[in-house]
Amino acid sequence: MDYDPMMMEDDQALGPSVKIHEADHDSVHFEASNVELHLMNSLRRVMIAEVPTLAIDLIEVDENSSTMADEVLSQRLGLIPLNSVELDSVLYSRDCDCEQYCENCSVKLTLHVKCTSDEHMNVYARDLIVDPKRPNQTIGTPVITDPEGNGILICKLNKGQEIDLACIAKKGIAKEHAKWMATTAVGFEYDPHNNLRHTDLWYEKNAKEEWPLSSNAKFEEPKGEGEPFDYDAVPTRIYMRVESTGQMPPDQIVAEGIKVLQQKLAGLIHALTDDDQGGDAGYGGGQSPEYGGGDGGSAWGGGAAGDGYTTPYGNGGNQSAWGGAGAGGGTTPYGTTPYGGSGQGGWN
Amino acid sequence: MNAPDRFELFLLGDGEKKITEQIFTGMSNTSDFIMLKEDHTLGNLIAEHLKAAPHVMMAGYKIAHPNVPEVLLRIQTDGSITPREALVEACKQLVAAYGQLGREFQKEFAFRQIADQGEQANANGLNGHH
Repeated sequence: MDYDPMMMEDDQALGPSVKIHEADHDSVHFEASNVELHLMNSLRRVMIAEVPTLAIDLIEVDENSSTMADEVLSQRLGLIPLNSVELDSVLYSRDCDCEQYCENCSVKLTLHVKCTSDEHMNVYARDLIVDPKRPNQTIGTPVITDPEGNGILICKLNKGQEIDLACIAKKGIAKEHAKWMATTAVGFEYDPHNNLRHTDLWYEKNAKEEWPLSSNAKFEEPKGEGEPFDYDAVPTRIYMRVESTGQMPPDQIVAEGIKVLQQKLAGLIHALTDDDQGGDAGYGGGQSPEYGGGDGGSAWGGGAAGDGYTTPYGNGGNQSAWGGAGAGGGTTPYGTTPYGGSGQGGWN
Repeated sequence: MNAPDRFELFLLGDGEKKITEQIFTGMSNTSDFIMLKEDHTLGNLIAEHLKAAPHVMMAGYKIAHPNVPEVLLRIQTDGSITPREALVEACKQLVAAYGQLGREFQKEFAFRQIADQGEQANANGLNGHH
């Protein structure tokens, strides 16, 4: 490769770089360049299925004289998005010391409504009362985005009908149930002009005229007429649009996704390097995906640009676990990784 | 009724190990790694990354049945490193790459927010002047 590492600015150094095209409170459209396809695809999969959120999981019905069966009502309640911004302060119920659930691993919401007028009555998500005994003061509040401030319509009641129930919201991931999804959709595209010919476009007369270009096509140049096809080319620019359910901002979903992936990989490293010492410290048994529990914080530290190498496993309590395996006895096992400033790209 | 619990897709059972190495005798310098409670997310990620690695002759993965959360990862090296070393190095590089990606994203997102706020302030200023 013909580049001079010394000449590069920080953001041009090798390794992935990111450009944000659009961002608002519930979605972000960005482009990652100089990345491999499989890297971004795994991130996409994790953001869809393994970013933890909060959702109603357990319901105790005291009174339900509405026309909606308990099961249907429960299903609808489970799907209501609940604020999950600072979810680190909530434990998984299965990892908690308590019997079934407690204030450290759950949020309690109650719903008590009765229709007394002749007109029918709508029950909305705003009618859910969040118990003040919760891990922090924003978590578990139903997400309400409509201008009227009603939130999701749960059901309708006629005169004399009543609903009285208590819901327990727990932390979980979408692999277990889709109600824990943090994203509504993740758009994923590369090579919008099909220069790499990964897509074989069907056409009647001319594929170029018959197929509309994607909105990402404006960021890239189409291949010129008569230019020879490059058989070795691989996708390096990937466009993603992450849409949030409203439970947490889209940038946090990306951050959490990366953190989950790093934890998965670190778990593997740990298991592989610590194997023969016999002491698999907590990675062996029935553990939740969130290994190491408390030591995480934000996966990429305070994000202070330019600070060396901080991963959740470099500076936390896990250091002793496989610190010795790091090359050169540096402070973190990743001290000598290709992105640490040596200007070397991956394996090359 | 007899459906398995959904959390069995990602929670290790009692005594199960996340990853075990099995030397594959059919080929030289080859090991199979069995990852329990994992899926294409890690399988494809690691296999594809290893294909570009030095000293790695072959890397591939399979998920034998879509309902069974087990990944088999086969790695053959040229003998100068063990498959296990190649795998650990790949994982470390991937953690590093994701770290970089995350920092880049966070940095760009913060810039974007500052720019948006600036625009808003400008718009408000103009309105004030009529």
